[in-house]
Amino acid sequence: MRLHYLIYKELLQMKRNPFLKVLVLIYPVFIMCVMPWVMNMEVKNIAVVVVDNDRSTLSQQLVHRIEASHYFVFKGEKASYSDALNDIEQSEADVIVELPDHFERDRMQGKQPQILVAVNAVNGTKGAMGAAYMNRIVTEHLSADALFSTLTDRVSTLYLYNKHLDSKLFMVPALMGILLMMVCGALPALNIVAEKETGTIEAINVTPVGKFSFIMAKLIPYWFLGLIVMTICFVLAWLVYGITCVGSLGWVYLLALLLAFCFSGFGLVISNYNQTMQQAMFVLWFFLVVLMLMSGLFTPVRSMPWWAYLTTFVNPVSYFIEGIRTVFVRGGDFQSILPQLLGLSVFALFFDTWAILSYRKNE
Amino acid sequence: MEKSISVSHLSKRYEVQALQDVSFDVNRGEIFGLIGPDGAGKTTLFRILTTLLLADEGSATVDGFDVVTGMKAIRRRVGYMPGRFSLYQDLTVEENLQFFATLFSTTVAEGYALIAPIYSQIERFKTRKAGALSGGMKQKLALCCALVHRPSVLFLDEPTTGVDPVSRKEFWDMLETLRQSITILAATPYMEEVKRCNRVAFLHEGRLKGVGSPDEILEKFKDVFNPPALQHHEESTSEKTEENVIQVQHLVKAFGDFHAVDDISFSVHRGEIFGFLGANGAGKTTAMHILTGLSQPTGGHATVAGFSVSTEYEQIKRHIGYMSQKFSLYEDLTVAENIRLFGHIYGMASAEIESKLNRMLQRLQFTDHANDIVSSLPLGWKQKLAFSVSIFYEPDIVFLDEPTGGVDPATRRQFWELIYEAAQRGITIFVTTHYMDEAEYCDRISIMVDGKISAIGTPNELKTRFNQPDMNSVFTLLARQSTRQSD
Repeated sequence: MRLHYLIYKELLQMKRNPFLKVLVLIYPVFIMCVMPWVMNMEVKNIAVVVVDNDRSTLSQQLVHRIEASHYFVFKGEKASYSDALNDIEQSEADVIVELPDHFERDRMQGKQPQILVAVNAVNGTKGAMGAAYMNRIVTEHLSADALFSTLTDRVSTLYLYNKHLDSKLFMVPALMGILLMMVCGALPALNIVAEKETGTIEAINVTPVGKFSFIMAKLIPYWFLGLIVMTICFVLAWLVYGITCVGSLGWVYLLALLLAFCFSGFGLVISNYNQTMQQAMFVLWFFLVVLMLMSGLFTPVRSMPWWAYLTTFVNPVSYFIEGIRTVFVRGGDFQSILPQLLGLSVFALFFDTWAILSYRKNE
Repeated sequence: MEKSISVSHLSKRYEVQALQDVSFDVNRGEIFGLIGPDGAGKTTLFRILTTLLLADEGSATVDGFDVVTGMKAIRRRVGYMPGRFSLYQDLTVEENLQFFATLFSTTVAEGYALIAPIYSQIERFKTRKAGALSGGMKQKLALCCALVHRPSVLFLDEPTTGVDPVSRKEFWDMLETLRQSITILAATPYMEEVKRCNRVAFLHEGRLKGVGSPDEILEKFKDVFNPPALQHHEESTSEKTEENVIQVQHLVKAFGDFHAVDDISFSVHRGEIFGFLGANGAGKTTAMHILTGLSQPTGGHATVAGFSVSTEYEQIKRHIGYMSQKFSLYEDLTVAENIRLFGHIYGMASAEIESKLNRMLQRLQFTDHANDIVSSLPLGWKQKLAFSVSIFYEPDIVFLDEPTGGVDPATRRQFWELIYEAAQRGITIFVTTHYMDEAEYCDRISIMVDGKISAIGTPNELKTRFNQPDMNSVFTLLARQSTRQSD
């Protein structure tokens, strides 16, 4: 069988490629140990300044409480609101808390003194989150003090599947998508274009090697490479964060293989229509970035505008991310990922057929 | 006489000794040739003289400036044409020229007087992309680009490799007109170009073997440059039959309005060495791609080994070997791995591959290098290897597309010995070349001009018919009739 010698040739070439060795080692480490920290959706380290016009025991207690919160970095007290605003303009503070005159006295008399929370909302998320955190601290402080219960005590929240609201648990499986797009999509496509550039593909095209064998020999090693790198990532996730797959790993690997089939087909289509590395790189980069950003990897798909949301139905990455999160985080079974499996299979079939049809040994 | 370039005791070492104690002088206004096999150190020398590389030992001056301390002055005074890659393929002819002028803060108008005789020949294509020019025209444009800032020294590193004889001759005619004002240091593998230099230096494995007039050097080292011509194997004619292994009738390949191959008909007999000649852009490679089943004809029909190129191209591929213009082995595999791969591709059994592999390596005296990575081998060896791989499974026909480009005469001769051996075993050889001495080695040749075959016959027949002393003159005569815009 010729296929096996062609695969052997690819493996030999992979073995001699120093870049691939680095990739297999560095890539999972980087993806697992750095990315989940940087791609954190939580808002932390909000710089806060306080203007305490009251200077009473009650107001100082509140200030200490803000100081102690790990969401905020306390940047000191200011004499007036305009001083504090100046800090915001200098980008040294994000939030101002102003406590009114006679804050303690009014509280004691049962009045409702107003506390001003002013927020720099240039970064919308950070602003909204900062205000929300601050509200919570203030409310908790005052309710405990006034000994009457507020809304927070009457509503109980139960965080399902991700008890500690750990965004790493959310990101880790999705990062596998990026990995598979790179290893199983971009690498074999660039490999084929490189053979076009050196001219060796012509030497193969004049031999009786069928296009199916040639393409398979290119892809199979990268599928294995992708699964190996993914396994290393899972082991790292377990060692570093203690995150493990809740559902069956079998479904995760099935989803991964289907995504690999999609993107290797997609990569081949690109390599068939591009003659140079440079061209192929640009086209690949464009599509991979768009597919990734519109897949719901970083942002919830339902908060996209409706037309953008519709595109997630023709985006294989969305199916994969949805599927892998279901299995990995929620422990979903075959039934719950059936639509994703079907979606991915359709795309895999589509791209692979197109790839084989558009590869020409004879023009 | 005034010195323009002076090299003294220059040495440079990478993993191998690239240059070893090289010293010579070039006079102002001279065309000085640099010759030697691939890997002799010519490009290293060019790079040191153009201040792109530092020497380990020794010193050199160009136009009176030291290559280390006078780097900036030298860069303003020299023009450099580094082999093939000196043009921007996506820019037009005019844009390329303007770009290089701007680099030296001058304008095309200022340098126009110098380049006018050359540029006028390509000026009508000034809006065409450089990548769409033929080989000969690219060289002319590259020369204009290297000259536009009016340098006093011109460095040419094998400027005409892969260019057809007519364009090469024109190129050297231009160099001669420049000689008065500019010193030229040129490397070339072509003997007729060597003969047009005032003096030449012969480099071999980093050492300077001799400097002198072309005739002196070629005579002194005639075993390298002027190997005894190959004896034509007359006995092989007895094996030849009238059976045609390639039959081409009214073959056409059109890209839009452009007919790259325009209604050609010919046939090749079994066991023949068939030379398929033509200028750059005449349609040779296109025709060869059709015959090897890489591309579809748009008209006419052809059979190779009894199979139609239009419909049975996959069967053709079981009966042919192919060695392309671009190097066709895997550079990151070893010699033995490449051979095994291609053996298996053609469905040979492992045992057969191993025994054949050993025999082949012994014949090439290559056994010690079986486990060398191909990219580490010299060009001449790679090409011998690529040829041996293309006939490894004993195909009926082997197609060779400019197999000996850029190789010195001695290595080319060894290559042709391999071709003769293969022909004796009954393999039909279909070969394109720009070396006219190689054309004489063929049993029959055809000369393509503008997509058509304008002459076909044995070398002697053609010489008699056109009343010319050698193949070079026959080729020049025919190729001059070209009217195609691109050449």
